[in-house]
Amino acid sequence: MALDRRVGFFEGLKYKGGGPMLAWILHRISGLGMIVFISLHVVASFFTQEMGSDWAISINIVYESVIFQLFIVFSVLYHGINGIRIIILDLWPRMLRYQKEMTWLQWLVVIPIYGLTIYIMIQRMITGE
Amino acid sequence: MKVKLKIFRYDPENDKKPHYDKFVVEAEPTDRILDLLEWIKDYQDGTISYRRSCAHGVCGSDAMRINGVNRLACKVLVKDVGTKVTVQPILGLPIEKDLIVDMEPFFDSYKSVMPYFVGGEENPQKEQLQSPEDRERFDDTTKCILCAACTTSCPSFWANGEYVGPAAMVNAHRFIFDSRDQAAAERLKVLNDQYGVYRCHTIFNCTDACPREIQVTQAIGDLKKAIATSRLD
Ligand code: HEM
Ligand code: FES
Repeated sequence: MALDRRVGFFEGLKYKGGGPMLAWILHRISGLGMIVFISLHVVASFFTQEMGSDWAISINIVYESVIFQLFIVFSVLYHGINGIRIIILDLWPRMLRYQKEMTWLQWLVVIPIYGLTIYIMIQRMITGE
Repeated sequence: MKVKLKIFRYDPENDKKPHYDKFVVEAEPTDRILDLLEWIKDYQDGTISYRRSCAHGVCGSDAMRINGVNRLACKVLVKDVGTKVTVQPILGLPIEKDLIVDMEPFFDSYKSVMPYFVGGEENPQKEQLQSPEDRERFDDTTKCILCAACTTSCPSFWANGEYVGPAAMVNAHRFIFDSRDQAAAERLKVLNDQYGVYRCHTIFNCTDACPREIQVTQAIGDLKKAIATSRLD
């Protein structure tokens, strides 16, 4: 019998697709990341409000942690900028031939803004403002 | 030079699970991966199975994953990939034996977009002329050899085999943008569907995989635009 067509998650990830495939993976991770963040926020707020429970506060601790914040700031920024790139490509297919240049441009926007944001975040953490 | 090959093996009659076999082959840098497979089949292990026909990148039989990307074995040279080579079947189609996959689902998608010329008149008495500019419009997508390298490199196709996939869309593009053809609307209707253009996330694996250097993502982009605007210009 033939082996079925299913492609395992890691098998797919191992395909050497290059930059645009990575961009797509990051877009999806960041999209899901934002959903997780917003969901946790809503759930935590609900439980704090309705029951004042301690474990609602422990949810807060998760998404207010430094690592989660670094992740979520990156997610919002990357998803937004990459989303704009995808929208441009979908609306003006002529731009598809400049896809490489657009990806460079995109990182040129994302990296400084992200760098500046974490700089400010860490500075505030240290000075405790 | 010695080339080490790791080749995906699956024998439907004897194996429950696939495994990999290793071979060492003496080769020149200018040998093609297909030459190495032929050598192995002739002198080391006659049971190894793969498709090939023309051996010159025309028939589209021997698309496979070579070091993790879809390529034609007859177009990749040893010097392109180095002395350690892993060969696996293309992804997302049922594996029949070793590197041979069942291409039927792929051709079903191909057929679904009416990949043939639909003229206006029943019995035209003279040729239908076309300007060089109009011919140029779909030149790129005439080059497809239906090897399935693009479709089986696409994560959207891996996730769902109902997706018509890049190859079918390339061939739809070939006729939709032909100024003489009359069935563009019907084809666009097939593609304006949850299994049509909307599953393309501009991942570009297809464009990278195409052995004919067709700008596949560009063709799909043209189709998205045609559907969104109901115009072909
Ligand atoms: C600046 C605002 C945003 C822009 C410009 C944007 C843009 C996009 C675009 C263009 C896509 C389609 C991607 C594709 O076809 O591959 C997408 C997908 C998605 N977005 Fe957003 N988005 C934004 C905000 C958000 C937010 C706030 C969330 C979650 C709370 C989110 C979650 C998602 C998810 C889960 C997907 C599906 C991922 C995928 O298809 O790979 N997005 N977004
Ligand atoms: S054998 Fe014909 S395309 Fe490679």
